[in-house]
Amino acid sequence: MKLFALALSLFVASSAAAQKELPLPAELPPYGPETAVQAPTVQERKLDNGLTVWMVPRSGFPKVSLILAAVGGTAADPKERPGLAQLLAVTLSQGTNHRGAREIAEEMQGAGGDIAAAGFRDVIRVSASVLSARAPKGLAVLADIVQNAAFPDNEVALAKRKLAGQLEQQEADPSFLASRAMAKTLFGDTPYAFVTPTKQSIEAATASELRSAFASRFRPDQALLVIVGDFQAGEMFAQVRDQFGGWRNPSLPPVPPATAPTTLPSHAIFLVPRPESVQTTLLFGAFGPLRGDTDYEAAEVANAIYGGSFGSRLTLNIREDKGYTYAPFSFLQIYRAAGVLQTRADVRNAVTGATFNEVSYEMNRMATTAVTDRELQQAKRFLVGLDAIKLQSQDAVAAELADLWNKGLSPAEIGLHGHKIGATTAANIESVSRKYFPASKMSIVAVGEEKVIRDALSQFGLPIQPAP
Amino acid sequence: MTIACRAFFFLAVLTLPMARAQEWRPPTTLSRLPNGLTVVISEDHSAPTFGMCISYGIGSRLEPEGRSGFAHLFEHMMFEGTPVSPKGVFDRVVESGGGVNNAQTDSDFTQYYESAPVSALDAMLWLEADRMKTLDFSTKNLDNQRSVVEEEVRVSVLNQPYGLFYFVDLPHKAFDRFPNTHDGFGNFKDLDAATIDDVHHFYDKYYAPNNAVLAIVGDFHSEEVLNKIGQYFSSLSSKKTPTRPDVSEGSQTSERYLAQTDKLAKVPALAIGYRMPPRASHDAVVGAVVGELLHNGQASRFYQKLVKDAQVALSVDGGLNFTGSSPFEYNGPVLLTSFIVYPGAKTLEQVLAAYDAAIAELAKSGPSAAELDRIRTKMRSDWYSQLEIPISRAQVLSHATLFDGTFERAYTIPEEVAKITSDDVRHFVSIYLVKINRTVINRVPNTSQKSAAGGSR
Repeated sequence: MKLFALALSLFVASSAAAQKELPLPAELPPYGPETAVQAPTVQERKLDNGLTVWMVPRSGFPKVSLILAAVGGTAADPKERPGLAQLLAVTLSQGTNHRGAREIAEEMQGAGGDIAAAGFRDVIRVSASVLSARAPKGLAVLADIVQNAAFPDNEVALAKRKLAGQLEQQEADPSFLASRAMAKTLFGDTPYAFVTPTKQSIEAATASELRSAFASRFRPDQALLVIVGDFQAGEMFAQVRDQFGGWRNPSLPPVPPATAPTTLPSHAIFLVPRPESVQTTLLFGAFGPLRGDTDYEAAEVANAIYGGSFGSRLTLNIREDKGYTYAPFSFLQIYRAAGVLQTRADVRNAVTGATFNEVSYEMNRMATTAVTDRELQQAKRFLVGLDAIKLQSQDAVAAELADLWNKGLSPAEIGLHGHKIGATTAANIESVSRKYFPASKMSIVAVGEEKVIRDALSQFGLPIQPAP
Repeated sequence: MTIACRAFFFLAVLTLPMARAQEWRPPTTLSRLPNGLTVVISEDHSAPTFGMCISYGIGSRLEPEGRSGFAHLFEHMMFEGTPVSPKGVFDRVVESGGGVNNAQTDSDFTQYYESAPVSALDAMLWLEADRMKTLDFSTKNLDNQRSVVEEEVRVSVLNQPYGLFYFVDLPHKAFDRFPNTHDGFGNFKDLDAATIDDVHHFYDKYYAPNNAVLAIVGDFHSEEVLNKIGQYFSSLSSKKTPTRPDVSEGSQTSERYLAQTDKLAKVPALAIGYRMPPRASHDAVVGAVVGELLHNGQASRFYQKLVKDAQVALSVDGGLNFTGSSPFEYNGPVLLTSFIVYPGAKTLEQVLAAYDAAIAELAKSGPSAAELDRIRTKMRSDWYSQLEIPISRAQVLSHATLFDGTFERAYTIPEEVAKITSDDVRHFVSIYLVKINRTVINRVPNTSQKSAAGGSR
């Protein structure tokens, strides 16, 4: 009963949002003939120790992007050390058996780059973008870090203090609070539940724990090296063999892959009180497809229509029509063993309830009515074009390849993606929308003034509970 | 890619350029249409795409007093339709053409940019020409975008810990004249006061072919694309060239200090700004290098001294024109800024003592040859990254041309940086990075506001 009443009120409230199609200006020149996007040609190699090497030599722009990805991100952290992978990532570059932290930073700067290391859910990535002329130096420093990181006690102690301080700093950040709560809401006590260390886990972590986590996670048979940019493949591969050929696999078993949660999150509102907030940060989340699923591309297209672009329904409704928010958006966040569809809007306190209503309406509109042909074509063209635009950047190509590898997919997927988008039909959209978009599937995190949120959202008949 | 929007000041730190390697210089040409529109074209056949950027010679610095934030609000109005292309058409045409678009209001320019497969080139040139001709000037849309912009201010400033105080409050304290003291977000009183007549006047005054630079980079032939640009833009009329007011500041004679409390932050922070010499000077290039020596990455002086050695800071960011596009792209008084987040257990005096010691050391000994070589290399590499993809090269080319009438500097920055010596740095630091030339804001959590829910100590 409640649901029915809700759906009805949503529809009445939002009928104005169902906009009529505008005619295009008569003088607007037509699009020209399409040129096929040339996907980057990836040279796949493997060293004897099992290290996978994907190289994309390109000419022109005089830089080289390097990424080393190792299996074992936050999902692989021990239960009592949530977020250890992040501490591991930031301490990796703080000293090896050959170089001190300062030398590492200085040598990388002298190659034109910075070491960036981050612990994601499934992997830890170490990357740098350096001048081609100094790529051998960049590669040598990267190789040293991932094989010989030493985790000096003093550097670990400092990194722990810094990370604890940054965590305290982030406790004030609404984005951080919302993402952290959403992860726990969706993933419960399964491995993807933690996006960040806790005060306790940082305090308890030791240098020797980091050394053993490093030893088990950084091993060539569970790692990928991506190199994109201005270099000769033969020469580069010879350097890779020099720098990484002596890397040994430990006798430990590899990090087991993360598994998806088996229980569904609850359709409820999870409150994160944040006194003095002048906006409510609303985050809606539910499970979506995996990257390799047959309906992944259709879900991307549906997402673009719903909330993944300036021209999307969500933006047209709550920004361009109602002015509730600046940058509403929805996105698919895909891990190796789980996918998540999320919608985010930061809105002034007074329109918290109205926004909740409209977002729910747009989700249900996706789930229950067909998209127009114009919407479908626009979203498909947008996503195919986005691929072409993204592939211009060598950092983006390297990141995309590392991501495909993480999901167990072939590098050829980078070129197939556009074709799959192009092949998506209205029937595909209908089926993914029914599957992933109903508002009744969503867990909702609301960050802001507690009273504002309770007053605005209690009318929707959902339980409002403290975020886990 | 998220739809981060008609966004505003991208506060990302863009750093810059080095060494003796041969210059990378993509082929580029400059033309001018009879109506005064400056056109910069760079062919790039690495992908079947293009990127373009139109920069208008108006930013938040020159918006009228009483209308703070107006240049940015106006930027939003550029997407709200024209008589022949109503609201909604712009994004639809861009996205249906496989493209992305956005805009940004800087202190000294407002830029509008798109990137797409080349098949959408004509359509996008037409859209840009259409909104350079006239706008819809709808009060309803102005009210809508006023709401959107006020939400933008909330999400970027008012609902954020620190509230971008190194951007909003630091120039306010460091400078004395409205063009330089106010921030481009503006205050709600001024935003609320803006009328559709203001939109008309602003458009008539600043949005004209002769006050704009169109830069385009991509997979086309230069002559062909120049012809197309002529076809779509040459019928637009030029307008009276806006006169540029004097925005210069008098000299600063003593250190300025402000204490602030923050209702949202849980950890204290510090912003420090030094007034810088004018852009078109040798000293300004030295200033850019000094900013990077001090702030660029983990090898930087401040990271090593404050975060690693003295351990009085959690993070240090900054540089010359830190909140703008790059240390080389501005056209009026700017600061060399440091933004430091420090542990609650440390005092302001401890942080400043380590900070001042790092500056004194640089003033005394200057960088070593090796350090100088590293920072030049890094600045070259960072600068190249801005020129890599068409949409971002188009931005750099359009800014350089807007300021100088030629795009030359987009490609000579690495060489200018490579000429800076250790003595230049020492001299600069001892003249400019001195207390009487700086402003300090210390911003600490308002502890009385801390509730049980998020209390940190």
